Amino acid sequence: MIQFDKVTKRYPGSDEILKNISFNIDAGEFVFLTGHSGAGKSTLLKLIAATERPTSGTVLIANQNVSQLKPSAIPFLRRRFGLIFQDHKLLYDRNCFENVILPLHINGVSGQEAAKRVRAALDKVGLLNKEKAMPITLSGGEQQRLAIARAVVSRPSILLADEPTGNLDASYAADIMAIFYAFNQVGVTVIMSTHDALGMSAMQNRVMHINQGTLTEHLLKEPHLDQASSSAERFTS
Amino acid sequence: MINWLNQHIQTLKLVISRMRNNMLSTFMICLVIGVAMCLPSLFYLAVDNLSKLTEHMQKDTEISLFLKVDINADAIKKLEQQLAKNQDIERFHLVTKEEAWQQLQLKSRNNQEVSDAVSQLGKNPLPDAFFIQAKSSDPDSLIQLKDTLQNLPNVELALLNTEWVKRLSSLLSLGKKLISMIAGLLAIVLLVIIGNTVRMQILTQKDEIEVSNLIGATRSFIRMPFLYAGALYGLFGGLMAVLMLIGIIQAFNLSMSQIAHLYSNDFSVTLFNAQLFLAVVMSAICIGWVGSYIAVSRAIANYRIN
Repeated sequence: MIQFDKVTKRYPGSDEILKNISFNIDAGEFVFLTGHSGAGKSTLLKLIAATERPTSGTVLIANQNVSQLKPSAIPFLRRRFGLIFQDHKLLYDRNCFENVILPLHINGVSGQEAAKRVRAALDKVGLLNKEKAMPITLSGGEQQRLAIARAVVSRPSILLADEPTGNLDASYAADIMAIFYAFNQVGVTVIMSTHDALGMSAMQNRVMHINQGTLTEHLLKEPHLDQASSSAERFTS
Repeated sequence: MINWLNQHIQTLKLVISRMRNNMLSTFMICLVIGVAMCLPSLFYLAVDNLSKLTEHMQKDTEISLFLKVDINADAIKKLEQQLAKNQDIERFHLVTKEEAWQQLQLKSRNNQEVSDAVSQLGKNPLPDAFFIQAKSSDPDSLIQLKDTLQNLPNVELALLNTEWVKRLSSLLSLGKKLISMIAGLLAIVLLVIIGNTVRMQILTQKDEIEVSNLIGATRSFIRMPFLYAGALYGLFGGLMAVLMLIGIIQAFNLSMSQIAHLYSNDFSVTLFNAQLFLAVVMSAICIGWVGSYIAVSRAIANYRIN
């Protein structure tokens, strides 16, 4: 599904953010991306979502080489993704329903069909009763859930979440993790970056750790992840 | 197809509801466009009506055809028939040398010096003359007609006072050139104004552009609402310009009717100039569309991936 081959990313006037990274993510996986802030997690997600191009190396998404895609083809690649941002990126000039319907309009879905799918997505994140509310009136956790509804409404095959629980307290974070797991259960590939181990539950998940631009992979529950148990406690409590 | 139409209707609804939420600023923008469209239109109307008026005046231009002094009555008859056949001549009348002599004596009666000079002449020095009005009022064709008349037999001199006609028409053509220049300048101003307005709107809707871009909207999808907004600003501005024009023409006609009454002239400006109004509205829409296209394209270019 997602293949990185010797990918290096450097912004003009800076050091290499990512150095010679290669990995493979299959359809249906649930992958955590960890590392300190500034380690390059967001950059890696941006490379996957084709909002950045690699300086060298190749990024293949569903067997399409992102570097060689025409600019006009990029929007159609992005529609395969559901993107969730740490700062939500909601539109505050319209209500919840209108926020969630935006990707459907972009995909050319409208009318009754669109309304049905928007309500289904809002229902999944538990915001069905707030469809007329403006996003600014929602709590942080609700806003993040709204952002998730918007990301999943067009039924993407890949969910990319950049620190979705970063600003939330533990119980909200647990809610959101549960939503992600539910999507993963029905076959959606989930890639989620997080700067702490919070939310990494007892399940066996793949963890990709970025440190100073290089990648180390390991599974959860390995001994050096000392935070795992405490976060699992917090998650279950 | 239905989907495509639906998308456009949705966008239009969104744009209109946004405009309704920002009634005052929308009104201001339309007002600016309206005033800017109004100015060259007024100028156009002024020159257009002035040239109509001068056409009217040019109709009165006469060619004076002085015949040879020693001409006899048969030759005059023959000439008269020739003039009657000429297609370019509207009407003409003959003033014989006797009539002219009487008129001269009559007119100079009050002026001692001239009447002395006239009476000293003794015998009538004046020639027979035709006064001719041409069908066309165009200076060039008038000159052409004059030349033809000059070449007729027994004609001493064909006289056409074309200088002022020429001057006026060249002034008018200068005025027309000036209009097109001013209209061009104002079109640039409008482009900048509308472009700037849309740019401001883009600033307030930066998030929308960014998010749409991130979740896979094509450029044309992102552009669409802004293009509609630009075209609508143009439409409303153009309509406002038309309203202003109607008001100004109405006021002008009202005061003109008083002046015209004094000169026993029924000159007035046509109130509903459909062609002009259509041109104003259409060009305002086009300028609005182009202005917002430029602005939104520049904004989208910022989200190019690197």
